[in-house]
Amino acid sequence: MMSNNQTRPANHNETSARTTLESLAPQGKKLGICLCPTCKKVNSLTLTHCIRCKTKLSTRNYASVQQSWALLITAIILLVLANVYPITLLTNRGVVTNDTIFSGIAHLIHTGMIPIAIIVFTASILVPWLKIIGLSLYLCAISFKIPISKRKMMIGFHIIEWIGRWSMLDLFVISLTVALVNMGQLLDAKPAPAATAFALVILLTQLSAKVLDTRLLWDRLETHNDTN
Amino acid sequence: MSEAKSYKAVILCRSCDLVIRKRALPSNVRALCPRCDTALYDTPYCSINGLLALCITALLLFLPANLLPVLEIHFLGSIRTTTAYEAAIEVWVQGYWVVGLAVLISAVIAPALLILSVLLQVLIVKLNLCSPFWQSIFLQLLKKHGLLSQLTMLEIYVISFLVSAFQLSDFSDVYFGMGTLSFTLLFIAMLFLQREYNLEHMWSYVHDEQ
Repeated sequence: MMSNNQTRPANHNETSARTTLESLAPQGKKLGICLCPTCKKVNSLTLTHCIRCKTKLSTRNYASVQQSWALLITAIILLVLANVYPITLLTNRGVVTNDTIFSGIAHLIHTGMIPIAIIVFTASILVPWLKIIGLSLYLCAISFKIPISKRKMMIGFHIIEWIGRWSMLDLFVISLTVALVNMGQLLDAKPAPAATAFALVILLTQLSAKVLDTRLLWDRLETHNDTN
Repeated sequence: MSEAKSYKAVILCRSCDLVIRKRALPSNVRALCPRCDTALYDTPYCSINGLLALCITALLLFLPANLLPVLEIHFLGSIRTTTAYEAAIEVWVQGYWVVGLAVLISAVIAPALLILSVLLQVLIVKLNLCSPFWQSIFLQLLKKHGLLSQLTMLEIYVISFLVSAFQLSDFSDVYFGMGTLSFTLLFIAMLFLQREYNLEHMWSYVHDEQ
């Protein structure tokens, strides 16, 4: 399944080293040690607080699955609102137009700015939906014990954690546009209700990923096969 | 305590709790968890003087980046300019304070706090301040570092004023100024600062009292 001291190339100039201590035990929990959640120091389970940074220690946070679900479900509801309601309100020579996230992108494609449209589409539609689908899959795998490859799930989870912040792009663009375009009836841009919903979607999904104790997925190593 | 010490050669994966024997790595090599591919540790190369230089650069760039306008548009003879701070406040004033606050934190407040936090950490390590007062400050700064670096989103902001420039060029003339240059340079300085900074290495400077 896995070999000791195996090295393999990871990125362009980095190689990765792999060492395991299979002879002892697979999980740190069984050895009576746990990792400090803040400073990543290995602590004995007999201690209540980390010896280095004094953070409270716990082997597993079982409540984190529920917390993560709660945040995720709220985010799903808000994401629907963020896509249905207009996100900006543009007044151009007296004509008021409401733009939703999708119609904004459609407008960009229409005016021929394809690369910009791709960036905005990735940041405001693809990333939030991927994040929500990915997190739901991950949480389902823990809650309903679905035998999906844990390794692929974990890679997906790392991607979600990293990519999530890019959704902020749309909010930055809105704030810059609103601050610049304010010439009354002639030309005026204002934010609309979906902006708040979208900001909350980003916050809640990031929190949902951060709060989850990923070690819970790996505790069921014995019950399901883990090869790939 | 003695029990914890005997586990010095062993680390745990923070994502899947696998027990892994820690061993020395050559430079430019990163240890990955064999089970879930989480990056575990790399060779701590973290030059304190280099960090100090990057901190001072970032601090010097921070003021022009946030005081000079990042974007300027000319529309039918009228000129509008904005800075990152003003843009956030403008959205806030119009009633969307959640959006305003999010923009303000991720583009202005978090980068400022991150620079100051790293500067203070570097000074504490460099001047070897080991009185309990300074050590407790050092501890608090290290604990907050992960959050601060996650909230700092300068790279996204730089992309976003390019996107806005393209969108606005549809109906007006868009100009970049010294503010845009400073902001981009600030982003580059912060990028290298965060690359150079190694949280695990900084933790090793904490003096264990017990």
